[in-house]
Amino acid sequence: MAYSEKLIDHYENPRNIGSLDKNAEDVGTGLVGAPACGDVMKLQIKVGPDGLIEDAKFKTFGCGSAIASSSLVTEWVKGKTIDEAETIKNTDIARHLALPPVKIHCSVLAEDAIKAAIADYRAKAQKEEPKEAAE
Amino acid sequence: MDHFARLGLPAALDLEAASLDRAYFALQRQWHPDRFVAKPPEERARASIEAAALNDAYRTLKDPLSRAVYLAELKGVELPGDGKTIDDPDLLMEAMEAREELHEAPSSEAIDGLAAKARNEMNKAMADLGSLFLANDKSAIRKTLLRLRYLDKFAEEARARRMNIERSRA
Repeated sequence: MAYSEKLIDHYENPRNIGSLDKNAEDVGTGLVGAPACGDVMKLQIKVGPDGLIEDAKFKTFGCGSAIASSSLVTEWVKGKTIDEAETIKNTDIARHLALPPVKIHCSVLAEDAIKAAIADYRAKAQKEEPKEAAE
Repeated sequence: MDHFARLGLPAALDLEAASLDRAYFALQRQWHPDRFVAKPPEERARASIEAAALNDAYRTLKDPLSRAVYLAELKGVELPGDGKTIDDPDLLMEAMEAREELHEAPSSEAIDGLAAKARNEMNKAMADLGSLFLANDKSAIRKTLLRLRYLDKFAEEARARRMNIERSRA
């Protein structure tokens, strides 16, 4: 199977591998898996006071396409607001990396991971507010 | 016809490998294409369809995990298929940590230790499945099967890493 140059580049030189402190208030963590192929993906975002995503990290155990998809997403979301980041579609990822049809599900995993990270960040932010109001 | 019925076996989690083999080889002989060369085309076509279905049944039932997944599906437990994702935090955290540990394992001995631990967990989970099927606890069956899928993947990755280490030594 012929893989695109972009895909191979992200696979061989993945951007933003690593972890952020999942307990930090300004960090959202998304942990998703695709049980059919046994892949597991963690994607984290750190949101600055200006509401922009200032850092993103990922850790993926899975095939090359899953690694490339998560690497690409961390690169795309940096500097975006969470609302903007939420609009990333798996089809954009698949198109950019020219994923072969059998690997489209890897881009679905990456889309679900960023959505889960945003949901986690929002849940934390919401929990914060009433507490501050009570103080 | 489901795979168990096709092989004339009871739809059960526990299946003796020997009786599965016996049932399969007997039917395989019965539908073997060599016996149909001189037969009319419809019969030849029927035999090749039967033979293919038989192989499919055998492949599915031979491996205990794939058999358990299949039996669960027969009982109406739905497992996420290709391209479907899950977000069960306990399960995924366990899978992520195990894969990290494997990734960082410094030696073949360390990998073997982790693989043995995973096998042990798989055996325990398979044993649990027996009583979950009896109780027809669908959500627990689903959860246990998903965990088994990840443990199975872990075992596969452990074998692959082991081979890489041996290859780089040779």
